[in-house]
Amino acid sequence: MINVDQLTKSFGKNQVLKGITTSIRKGEVVALIGPSGSGKSTFLRCLNLLEVPTSGFISINGDELTAPKANVAAIRQNIGMVFQHFHLFPHMTVLQNITFAPTQVKGMSLAEAQDKGMALLAKVGLSDKADSYPSKLSGGQKQRVAIARSLAMEPEIMLFDEPTSALDPEMVKEVLNVIKDLADSGMTMLIVTHEMKFAREAADTIYFLDQGLLVEKATPEQFFTQPKSDRAIRFLEQVL
Amino acid sequence: MNKHKLHVLYVSLLTMVLLIVSFGPALSVFAEEATELPKKTLVMGTSPDFPPYESVDAKNNGEIIGLDIDIAKYILSELGYELKIASMDFGGLIAAMQSGRVDFIMSGMSATEERKQSVDFSDPYYFARNTIVSKKDSNYNSIESLSGKIIGAQLGSVQEAVAYSVEDAAEVRKLNKIADLIQEINSNRVDAAIVEDAVAVEMTNANGQLVMNFLPAEENDNGYAIAFPKGSPYVAEFNTVIAQMQENGKLDELLLKWFPDANAASKGNNKLIDFSILQGYVPYIMKGVGVTLLFTLVSAVLGFILGSLLSLCKISGIKPLEWFATAYTSIFRGTPLLVQLMLIYYATPQLTGYDIPALLAAGLAFGLNSAAYLSETIRAGIMAVDKGQREAAIALGIPYRKMMISIIFPQALRNILPALVNECVALIKESSLVSVIGVADLMRRADVVRASTFRSFEALLLIAAIYYVLVLVLTSLARMLERRLRRSD
Repeated sequence: MINVDQLTKSFGKNQVLKGITTSIRKGEVVALIGPSGSGKSTFLRCLNLLEVPTSGFISINGDELTAPKANVAAIRQNIGMVFQHFHLFPHMTVLQNITFAPTQVKGMSLAEAQDKGMALLAKVGLSDKADSYPSKLSGGQKQRVAIARSLAMEPEIMLFDEPTSALDPEMVKEVLNVIKDLADSGMTMLIVTHEMKFAREAADTIYFLDQGLLVEKATPEQFFTQPKSDRAIRFLEQVL
Repeated sequence: MNKHKLHVLYVSLLTMVLLIVSFGPALSVFAEEATELPKKTLVMGTSPDFPPYESVDAKNNGEIIGLDIDIAKYILSELGYELKIASMDFGGLIAAMQSGRVDFIMSGMSATEERKQSVDFSDPYYFARNTIVSKKDSNYNSIESLSGKIIGAQLGSVQEAVAYSVEDAAEVRKLNKIADLIQEINSNRVDAAIVEDAVAVEMTNANGQLVMNFLPAEENDNGYAIAFPKGSPYVAEFNTVIAQMQENGKLDELLLKWFPDANAASKGNNKLIDFSILQGYVPYIMKGVGVTLLFTLVSAVLGFILGSLLSLCKISGIKPLEWFATAYTSIFRGTPLLVQLMLIYYATPQLTGYDIPALLAAGLAFGLNSAAYLSETIRAGIMAVDKGQREAAIALGIPYRKMMISIIFPQALRNILPALVNECVALIKESSLVSVIGVADLMRRADVVRASTFRSFEALLLIAAIYYVLVLVLTSLARMLERRLRRSD
């Protein structure tokens, strides 16, 4: 479903991604882990062109994202993204946050978008917050709304960029549960995370990145019990 | 000698050029007249702050009335033309005629040599006497008695030259309005003002502390005449009717109507501030509130839309757009608003042939100027919106235009609302500048009332209070809006 070939990305002289090649099949849940500065977030952001790759090739469902004439907006609609700092629209209510893109981009009727929005809010357990403004929500609630907002566009792929890193510890669980439910439902997902336990339970595949390279690609069982590379061994020693 | 021949050649060349320059316009006017029918309507330019020659009848619908108007009406009806009156500042009259906005000027204008360089004059229809106005105890009764004194005169008036003719005068102060002259005498900044007889009568009538002393009339260069563009075909026609009026007594009849009794005893209002003199003028001034508000609204909306577009250019990352927006801001911020206003109003008809209405010119000038300031404010507001908002919108596939309008702008607007209110407050107050091109806003109306009452303070205090109330209302509305925008916090 997602094919990446020799992807590199430089910021000025600093090469953050040094040639990443991989492919992700439909329904696969990938957890990206690695030390900070390893290029996990940059890799994720390249997948919907929030960062424009310096070189390399990305295709989604056979559509080449890196082609000069690619219909980027259309491909992006098919990829949801959840950010570390939520980025809810502060001047809109929770429900308006969710219905804005479907009505404005997909041309869905407001009534339909609202029905769908309420269903999504029920799914993330926030039906009672539909008319609240984001400033009235806790971090965990905001992140669940952000997930519902992305899902409202009915994407085939979801990208999570450290979704729990900005949360107080007691809120982490409520967000991870939502993500886990989503994983169980068969959604194709890439998750940058520091939650090793969650990665082990929820992911099908672990990508270990270090210094801009995809160092190891393994099942959670393999990776956490028998890491192959020295770098992964050292990393796991530090975080576990 | 060779040199001599060359000299002759130069002189004859120069003469030819001069002939062409001086007859050229005349010829073209005649050519126009030959091809089209004579105009039915003639536009007369006048500065209605000079009673009894011309003033705004503020107590009756703001119609312009006076001796000049009656004479113009008589002449034009004799000649079979319709009269239309265009009101503007005295200093702008000749420029307006040169740009073709008015066909002739009657505004108590003396036919001076200086003016004859740029316009043609009819025969004079009235000779005014110069008069010294000063405080009661001063006793200035001749030109000689003014030596060593500070002398005031209205800017651009013929009395300016008389003031300069005083030997050893300490200083000649030229002021825009008669009301300003009165004020300067009252505050002892000017020892005496030289004005003409009719004005002096009104000044002393309205201000009991002032007295007047007539100077001997000089018939040669003080005559009031009608000004026409160079080479105008109307001069001869008008002169015929003026001669007729002098013969058949019509002129004397009109003079008597407007100078009922120049020697009537002074009523003498001694109070420094007396609001009762505004009686009857208040509705006229209040009508200016609408003009001021309409004008502020137009320029604020124009400035905001244009400023938003400019700010988008500035953050577009496209070099030519950025350069354009930066140059625009630099020019409009770097030159005085008043200069921009005058340029737009006077240059547009000459460059494009479109006779831009004063209110439109003013709205345009203020809007363009305000856009330069607002573009910076709005740019700062947009930059202050969290970068993540943009990324979230992009990730959802929201197109640029919708993102800017629905996501970024509302948040930027909230950031800069106090700055926007400041700009609107400034616009309301700066709008008083538009009075110089004759827009009947609050300031202009106050000037008109000051000219017709010959009192300087009362009308100014009234409009100051009105401006203040307008600003108060605006700021409290803005506070309500801000509270509404902050409800999401």
